[in-house]
Amino acid sequence: MNLTLVGINHRTAPVEVRERMHIPESRLAQAVSDLVHRGGIREGLILSTCNRVEVATSAEDSVDAQPIMQQFLADHHQFDLGPYQRFFYHYQQQEVVRHLFRVACSLDSMILGEPQILGQLKRAYALAHEAGGLNGSLNEIVNQALAVARRVRRETALGSAAVSVSYAAVELAKKIFGNLEGRTIFVIGAGKMSELAAKHLLRSGASAIYVTNRTYERAVQLAAAFRGTAIAFDQLFEHLPKADIVISSTGASGYVVNKECVAKILSARRNRPVFFVDIAVPRDIDPLVNELDNVFVYDIDDLGQVVEANKKQREREAVWAEEIVQEEVQRTMRRLASRDLVPTIVALEDRLNAIREGELERYNGRLGNLTPEQRQAVDALTRGIMNKILHGPITELKSEAGQPEQAALVRLVRKIFGLAN
Amino acid sequence: MQHVLLWIGLVLYGLGTILLIPSVVKRRLAIPRASLAALGLGLLSHAGAIALEAARIHRLPVTDVRSALSFYAFLLTLAFFLLYLRYRLASLGLFMLPFVFVLTLISAFRPVRPFDLSAFRGGWLAVHIGSTILGYTGFFLTFVAAVMYLMQEKELKSKTPRTFYYRLPSLELCDELYYRSLVLGLPLLTVGILTGFIWASRTWKGPWEFDPKILASMLTWLIYLVLFSTRVSGGWRGRRAAYVAIVGFAAIMVTFLGVSLLSGAHGYVPTLRQGP
Repeated sequence: MNLTLVGINHRTAPVEVRERMHIPESRLAQAVSDLVHRGGIREGLILSTCNRVEVATSAEDSVDAQPIMQQFLADHHQFDLGPYQRFFYHYQQQEVVRHLFRVACSLDSMILGEPQILGQLKRAYALAHEAGGLNGSLNEIVNQALAVARRVRRETALGSAAVSVSYAAVELAKKIFGNLEGRTIFVIGAGKMSELAAKHLLRSGASAIYVTNRTYERAVQLAAAFRGTAIAFDQLFEHLPKADIVISSTGASGYVVNKECVAKILSARRNRPVFFVDIAVPRDIDPLVNELDNVFVYDIDDLGQVVEANKKQREREAVWAEEIVQEEVQRTMRRLASRDLVPTIVALEDRLNAIREGELERYNGRLGNLTPEQRQAVDALTRGIMNKILHGPITELKSEAGQPEQAALVRLVRKIFGLAN
Repeated sequence: MQHVLLWIGLVLYGLGTILLIPSVVKRRLAIPRASLAALGLGLLSHAGAIALEAARIHRLPVTDVRSALSFYAFLLTLAFFLLYLRYRLASLGLFMLPFVFVLTLISAFRPVRPFDLSAFRGGWLAVHIGSTILGYTGFFLTFVAAVMYLMQEKELKSKTPRTFYYRLPSLELCDELYYRSLVLGLPLLTVGILTGFIWASRTWKGPWEFDPKILASMLTWLIYLVLFSTRVSGGWRGRRAAYVAIVGFAAIMVTFLGVSLLSGAHGYVPTLRQGP
């Protein structure tokens, strides 16, 4: 097993370099096919997104794959890689496995835990597979990387906390209302931000939406876009009690909603909770409203604070995710290494068995006419000796699986038993 | 045999609760399988202990403080499992299981009292105790839901998410659990109190109505009745209701444990027909 990975990502290279190195999806299959047809390369995978370009291969044991891969990139892009060398990182063997696992789990992403990378890796895997680039250990490693990513998703909350302001609003709404199914949204003042937040809320299951604006026409437009209902601004308070979630972003200089009127709304709602998202600056909702029971008011800074806390939360989760990755890397390396031993073990068994059969053949004449039982006994006897001799070396080989000494031990065994390379 | 099974159940409950800790520290969302397995086996062992005792006395074994506590702990663990199947909330385990463990522990350490068959003749007393304990099971869930609600509400009001924000369910879910367990518990406690009255009026002579335990029960019942009726009529919910639910459960603890354990004048079941 001879694994190599060459790549650049958002940490090592600026966007100008990343876009020069990018390989569009339409050319990916062709590129993989080109890569694996180069001398010594057995398997290849190319992952190219806006934040990274990664080329991974498994090659013949005696081959140094890195210059071949560099040459491949230079050929593909038709320019000299010389000036770009410093942006590349190179990994070998276990480090390749770890890097691929971390990428799949989104531990190497610009936004920790973002979900797109897993889909991109799946796509790259499918394309490389179609192009005939994956059929051995690299295939298994990428497959395992996808499985590890699923495990991290299942066992940690790495990707769950919202890290943008509009998603933070949705997350908070879910912390208050649980399921957003059937909830009513009220948008006061049409603006880019409130539109975005409303869109996320609707996608999360909220059903009805009301829109009001100082200019009624604008309210009608936005309501039409969301299939909602436009409300005249002066009728705002008649309809506000229907709203579970209020998104406010007017250009008003004073508060549009104060404590007194929310208290009235609450009694009309029989104290069912209300969530105010105030994205206006200056603010629309009097912060004192938050003092009322069953009312939650978040302004733009509060949402930012939640995003910050969530980022820290993701960092804490990343620690557990790294532990899972570590564990899985070791397990995968052990499995791959013990598979690497199989040819040596088979060759060793074949060699000893050939000796045994040759000797039996040689003595066949001298043994005379044996009964079938006697012949069986001789066979068992010689086989027993052979297995006893094999036991030591095979046990030793297996116990070294995955250890750095493995390669030296394999060489030694091959040498002393005279096994062909 | 039943005592051995109860002790095995106790040890397994303790083990299951301890195994829960890493998942709480690591903020893992699910309860580890080992923990669930220990709790499940504990529940089986506990069920075995109760079944053997029931077979021995030919009645639901709620005939003294020891067995009543044990039965209560059993119902709570069962409720925990049902809720976990429905909601998959590790946080519920965190709140419920230590309490279950303590109840089982007290029960395991209490001396066995000889069972007074005459008091249980006619079945009213068994129904009284059984449905009261079922009601208490519901109200413990109301209590847990109220505590979780208050914690999550505090996180949301403070606007700086900390530990509980990430680990506790939504306010809506806390409220759902709160209301459903309240609706479940109230009729059961009502039946429990009414059958208690019937039994007492048939068995005890003298003014039994002013027994401290009965007064405490009435007070408890009133608290929950107020919670329920204000919710239905006036939409009384949220923080204030949660505080009252906590007070209500404190009243239950006083009624169930305090009066039963401390009052020497009348233990759990008064001795033969003398009344308090």
